[in-house]
Order: sequence, then C-alpha cells, then structure tokens
Amino acid sequence: MTGNPYQSHDARILEVKDLTPREKLFTLRFIDPEINESFTFKPGQFVIVDVRGFGEFPISLCSSPTRKGYIQLCIRKVGRMTKFVHKMKEGDVVGIRGPYGNGFPMENMEGSNLILVAGGLGMAPLRSVLWYTLDTGKYEHVWLLYGTKAYEDILFRDEIIHLLKHGETMNCTVKMAYEIESPSCIYLERGFSERVCRGVVTDLFRGESFDIENSYALICGPPIMYRFVIRELLNRKLSPGRIYMTLERRMRCGVGKCGHCVVGTSVSMKYICRDGPVFTYWDALATRGLI
Amino acid sequence: MRYVKLPSENFGEFFNFLQRLGPTYGPVKEGKTHHFREVKGVSEMDLNYTRTMLPPKKFFVRPRERLFRLENGWWKEEDGERPFVLFGVHACDIHGLKILDKVYLSDPVDPYYSKRRQNAFIVGISCMPDEYCFCKSLGTHFAMDGFDLFLHELPDGWLVRIGSVRGHEVAWENEKLFEEVTDEDLRHFKEFEEKRANAFQKEIPQEGLADMLDLAYNSPVWKDYAEKCLACGNCNMVCPTCRCYEVCDSWVDAYSSVRERRYDSCFMESHGLVAGGHNFRPTRLDRFRHRYYCKSYFDPSSGFNCVGCGRWDEFCPAGIEHVKVLEEVRGSLR
Repeated sequence: MTGNPYQSHDARILEVKDLTPREKLFTLRFIDPEINESFTFKPGQFVIVDVRGFGEFPISLCSSPTRKGYIQLCIRKVGRMTKFVHKMKEGDVVGIRGPYGNGFPMENMEGSNLILVAGGLGMAPLRSVLWYTLDTGKYEHVWLLYGTKAYEDILFRDEIIHLLKHGETMNCTVKMAYEIESPSCIYLERGFSERVCRGVVTDLFRGESFDIENSYALICGPPIMYRFVIRELLNRKLSPGRIYMTLERRMRCGVGKCGHCVVGTSVSMKYICRDGPVFTYWDALATRGLI
Repeated sequence: MRYVKLPSENFGEFFNFLQRLGPTYGPVKEGKTHHFREVKGVSEMDLNYTRTMLPPKKFFVRPRERLFRLENGWWKEEDGERPFVLFGVHACDIHGLKILDKVYLSDPVDPYYSKRRQNAFIVGISCMPDEYCFCKSLGTHFAMDGFDLFLHELPDGWLVRIGSVRGHEVAWENEKLFEEVTDEDLRHFKEFEEKRANAFQKEIPQEGLADMLDLAYNSPVWKDYAEKCLACGNCNMVCPTCRCYEVCDSWVDAYSSVRERRYDSCFMESHGLVAGGHNFRPTRLDRFRHRYYCKSYFDPSSGFNCVGCGRWDEFCPAGIEHVKVLEEVRGSLR
C-alpha cells in the first residue's frame, strides 16, 4: 500500500446482527469499489477499525476471504470504543485499514486434518478458518472444539447448530462444551449427546482420536485456555510446530511502530501485530512472554 | 569519506550559512542541564555539553503531534515540515536516530518521520565522556554515517567529516571557509580520539549479554530493582531509542477533531492493558524487565537497542543505573 499507512478507508455497515447480548456481527463493504475488489486477506489476520473522532481498535476478521465483496467483524461490547460502535446502525460509515498480521498458513495445511479449538470470543477468527476450509474443501477433516459459558453466549449459534446437525456431510465435526446449565443447553445435549457436554473445552478431546501425524491444531481463546489445550495436544504427541495459536495484545498502529505489542527478551523480540498474531507453540517456547 | 578543515575564525560564518537552510537547533544550557533549542548565534550555544536532557528524537517523533485533522467527516493529513538544521549532535544520538530509522523507515514507512528525516540537516560534534557514558563498549561512540557533517575538535578549529551529498554541497558552496587537512591536524585528531577512548569510566561487556539476560529471566535482582523503581517513565522520555506512542482522537470544537499521537511509556500500567481488563504486563516487575529486555534486545543486523548515552543514569530519580543493573543480573547467574 502506498501513501499514508495510517489512513483508513471508508466502509459502510451493510448489516448489524445481534449474536449475543454482548456481541454483534457487523457486515461491512468498502465504499470505494476498487478497494472492495482488491481487498483480500488470510484467515487469522485483523483490521483496525477507525471511528473518526473517537479512536481506533484492532479486530480480527471473522468472514472468509473466499467470500468476496464484504467483510465481517464480530465485536464484543467491552470498552469505550466498542460501546460506541455497538450504537451504530446499517448505513453508518466507519474507517477500516489493514489487513494486518501474518494469518494462518492455510496453503501449507492443505490436505491435513485441522483441529480448531475455540474458547469464547476466540470463535471469531476461527470462524474465518472454518468457512475457508468448508468453502475450499481442500482439507481432510475439520474438528471444531468450542468452549462457551452459556447457551446465550454461543457465537454464530445458527451456524454451530447447523454444523452439529449436518457437519459430517462436509467432513466437519463440531463439538461444544458449556459451563452454565440451562434448559436450552440440556436440549442440545439430548440431541447431540456425543458432541455436546457440560464442562470445559479440554473435555471435548476425550474419546476423540486424531491422526496426529497429519494434523494441525489452531487455537484461539482467553489467555488461560492456551496452557490447558496445549498440554492436551502435547500429550497426544502433536509437534509444537503444528500447533498454531492467535494472540491478542494492545495494538495502536498495527504495523510494528507503536511498540505496545512487543514481547520477548534480549534474544527474541517480536511484534505481535507484524510477526503475529498467529504463532506456533514452538515460537512460544522460544519467546518468553508470548503466552 | 571526505575530510576538510574548518579554522576557528571561520566558524561563525559557517554557522551563519547554516541558518539560511532553516531554523537551527543547538545545545543550549538552561540551569544545570542542556536542551536542544532554536539558536540565532554561536554564542547562545554551549558546544562543550555532554548530553541534553531530551535526545534529538524529539525533532523526528514529536512528544505530541497531529496526524490527521477531521474535515467534513474525512481525515486530512496534516501539513509537512520545513527543512531544519540540527547542530551539535553527538555520535550516540546519531546512532539512536539510526535505530529509530530501523523502526520507522521499515515497511510500511511512517510518512511523518520520513518527511522530517529528509528535511533535517544534521551536524555532529565530537564530545568527551563523563562518568555516565558507556557508548564505547556498545560501539556507538563513533558515527560512520547518519549525519551530513561531523565536526571534530582541533586546537585551532574543526576537522570536518562529510557524510552525505547534502553535506558535500554545503561545504562546496562555502569552499572559501574550508582548508585542506594537514598531517598535523590528523595527529591532533588521533590524539583527541585516544584521549577520549581512555576517558570512559563505564562499560557493558557485550559478549553474550543478550543470552545471559535471557537466562537470568527469573533473577531476584529484577525484583529488587523493580521495587526501587518509581515507574515514573522518565527513562522513556529521555531515551534516544524509546519510541512507543499512543494515539488519541480529541475534539477541537463541535465540528472538528484531530488525531494525535504522543509518547507512551512502558512503565505505565495501561501499556499492556487490553479491552476487557486483561493486562499482559500486570506487575511493575514485568514492566521493568520488559524495558531492559527491549533495550538489550540484540538485533543480529544492527546490534543492541541501547546506545549508551547515559541519560537514564543521570535523570532517573531513583538513581537506578542501567549498567549496574545489567551487571548485577548477569552476576546473579553465577
């Protein structure tokens, strides 16, 4: 991109959809048709949303690059900026710049099994991967292990339930763990007793056998989740180079200048925004402070 | 490199010429410390200074600068800068600018920084170390590039190294002010450099430092110093290579707003805080250690992020000394 890298492009909100009481899904399209056409990204990359006069914040893309013409962002109402964005309606304009980061190496993983492990809002970047795999059909088998708090907190609930019902025909197994019991959850558990249970996301590994030699794991969730999921994967002898995780940090610029997302020590320093946000578990072993 | 000599009696005239290139900033003594200020004549400057409080990075990355202005709902880039002259920059600060270049001029190029960098005419000057300087052990006590002209003190004038085409053009236009360098001048130059090399009182042994520090991640020394540290962020402000910035939008009136960026400090609790309240560097120990690791990061292509200017040691209100901390951390491994 030439010109000022901090300049954002106008995008119009096409649709706002309530996913949960806290999260909304925004569908956006660039006003400039040329940018709309040329904008492409990899699953796992993020953009910076620029609300002019109020500020900027980084959000991962949760739509798939296989579906062109629009992008989708899943935004949780959690701070000053996101609270403001949640008040926006169809037709409003925001600035978007990006995409930034490295994204998941989707091409390298073609022909393999993918184990997607999502916790809470971690579903958003992995939904991009999930769609990508389903759209391209270049992957052997995809597991989605999704840990959530309660029935109301299930992101993309319609899609998850649809895949619970019909996933196997698309080589996709969806499993879900919930923490807080409710009638809706019990109803789901009755319907899919094999794949829905009360517990945490690591419980979903139980009884599942993966072809470890030919598998990659992609993880996204709250910081606490990584340790337990990685332990589970290492117990199954998955190589640290095959475990990908996408990380979160404070990011202001998105291009490796502002210094907030720097991690590491004197021998290994990384900018999460530029060198990540997708890292392998080996990177985490080599760089202190990554997870 | 081209070398010429500037005799003392021509110094004033040379300086007057530089003023025609744009506003000239030089080291001025105010109270006990020195600062880069706009100067109109040689007499205002104190060229025998050791270090200024704020490094020359303030001319390239402003403490507070406007990026955009909101106009009819669109961001408009703020206007560019005029050419300016930075007079009397020491070798360590020139190396500091080169480290900033590595960040700001790498892809994608920061347009604000790069504009100012192109507009700056940098005149370096030789210096004598004091008790805080340790640039020699980091290899930043002598600048080979990154300046337009570099003045080395001689008993009867200045030995001038010309480091860029623009520097060459300036010397060319003022040909009558300069003389050829004689063997005697070179002898004086060598003597000065030898005297200077022997004047350093502090050093960081570089070998294996990056690795040792990484190994000493859990050293109790970090904790001792983190308790002493006031977390005021002074060291970030005075460091020639600290570059974290925060961006904020603010409203000028009901219809227009500006997007500004300003220095940020990794000692502030908000530095690692993300939305939702999770802090990736929650304790002062984390933040203290983070800064040391950031400064001591060894980039295989350009070396350490520290240039040994000694500002940290001089301006830390808690009296924490950079070299001493690193030495103690390394020592705690044994």
